Amino acid sequence: MNIIQGRAWLFGDNLNTDVIHPPNCYSLDPVVVRQGLFSKFDPTLQARLKSGDILVGGKNFGCGSSRETSIRSLLLNDIGAIVAVDFARIFFRNATNNGLPCLQFANAEDRQKLAEGETVSISFNDWTLTSETGLTIPLTPAGSFVRKIWSAGGLLNLLPDSAKDA
Amino acid sequence: MSVRETLSDKVIRSHALNGTGQEDYVHARIDALLGHDATIALLINQFEQRRLSIWDKSKVIFTNDHFSPAATIERADISANFLRFSRNQKIDNLLVDKGICHQLLIENRLCQPGSLIVGADSHTIMGGGLGACATGMGSTDILFALATGTTWLRKPKTIRVIFHGSLPGNCSGRDIILELLRLLGEDGAQYRCLEFHDFSQPKLSQDNRFAIANMAVEIGAKFGVFVPDEITLAYCSERDQQTPGDLVLPDADADYEYTLELDLSELGPRIAKPWSPANVVAVSELDSIPISTAFLGSCSSGRIEDIQEAAEELDGKTIHPDVRLIIIPASINIFKQALDKGYVKTLTEAGAIFNQSSCGPCGGIDKGVLGSTDVCISTSNRNFRGRMGHWDSQTYLASARTVARAALKGCISGDLYS
Repeated sequence: MNIIQGRAWLFGDNLNTDVIHPPNCYSLDPVVVRQGLFSKFDPTLQARLKSGDILVGGKNFGCGSSRETSIRSLLLNDIGAIVAVDFARIFFRNATNNGLPCLQFANAEDRQKLAEGETVSISFNDWTLTSETGLTIPLTPAGSFVRKIWSAGGLLNLLPDSAKDA
Repeated sequence: MSVRETLSDKVIRSHALNGTGQEDYVHARIDALLGHDATIALLINQFEQRRLSIWDKSKVIFTNDHFSPAATIERADISANFLRFSRNQKIDNLLVDKGICHQLLIENRLCQPGSLIVGADSHTIMGGGLGACATGMGSTDILFALATGTTWLRKPKTIRVIFHGSLPGNCSGRDIILELLRLLGEDGAQYRCLEFHDFSQPKLSQDNRFAIANMAVEIGAKFGVFVPDEITLAYCSERDQQTPGDLVLPDADADYEYTLELDLSELGPRIAKPWSPANVVAVSELDSIPISTAFLGSCSSGRIEDIQEAAEELDGKTIHPDVRLIIIPASINIFKQALDKGYVKTLTEAGAIFNQSSCGPCGGIDKGVLGSTDVCISTSNRNFRGRMGHWDSQTYLASARTVARAALKGCISGDLYS
């Protein structure tokens, strides 16, 4: 995971999990979960997403419910990463535990510099986001514990052997 | 010089497995784990495929509160699989059709002051009403905790909230937490512990404290914890037939990010307008808005004092003919108390419908969901757009008393209390 590239989709502050993935789309059926993404917010959006696309948000991204169907839906739609001013804590944990990178702008006002649909790339080597117009925007480097979970391929790969049924 | 500690500092340090408890991320043991059908169902396959076992079956509380009983075929299958898993694992506290998991946690002796509790639902934080550091997590975190009895935590900064004065008779804990949401916003306590110090006279009841702790997560908090006192002790002693052990209290000059003081005497009834629990105004500021639905329930309410408030308001009266009033006691225990006290009869005669103790329409998944033109006044904790049903439906959040008054009048209006 050195570089992720995709189109940017822009969202505002306090984007909650009920809007990201409405509770009536809760299911164990992957098709239902995948198609539920933003299904009330913008019924056309999910079908337009492409592999590697990047969500760009404001403050408190992912506030609300702990239901991990919202993360499953983002992964089933192959969202590459989320960049926001900051994240609600449960959402951040859930995404990180499942290997979906959540990154913060080093400067909150930089979120205004991106345009909907432009292709951006995130470098995990120097913690920057580069826009189609050539802007280089600094991101806050992820902490060592978060990187450890990413490297392991998710929290469950950090389960100790001792946890298994003898 | 030693660091002066907040309540959550002490709880995390005393549960830290290694290190000093001062690192960015602390590996900590947990005292209890809470789960329900909808979120535990998401981890069963992984748990079984990895041939994991539960670290301590006596410290786990599971209930089926989202699909109780199930309304669709898929949910009936999910529910059956959840019950099969829980019975195979021989969970000590598998509480089938007994109520909402967060209410069942605080009715259980596993929820002790000073304990560290994780749960597979954001409102697990309500255990803080008893002085527990309780917090919600997703299914992956909960799977890890279920298998190891441990979790990873960031040590939060703490905001101290001090209550003074006397709570007016027409207000409850719901109005207090809505006022805090108005003051702090949806992210005002993000990653923080809210530490509540109750110096009000008379002190807040346990039911009011649960309402406040429950919605601390709506301000972004990791923990919303009341400093335990005689109210806590009385509740735990009655519940457990035993007094709790040594109480974990914050140091007198602990290191707080800042302190917020609230004079409860100044408070009036509050209401959160669509579509944010922080979009709060005084009820008296509202224009008249006709409603179709009134909901008294969810883990943030539906306790005996809430049902009592509604019964007081509606005794001998009949609700407005255009309004459906749905009442869901948060647990079967509360339902039985409401039966014993006559509230169920009073409210049924006033036109209310009682539904099974469960999450109900709060998460838009069970009986009582809203259609496109519905306007609902609710004692639940979230009025996010589309949460209770149709994207165009509207939910206002308020206390049980305000919900009952609006159900009687057929509308929300500035003169509900005049």
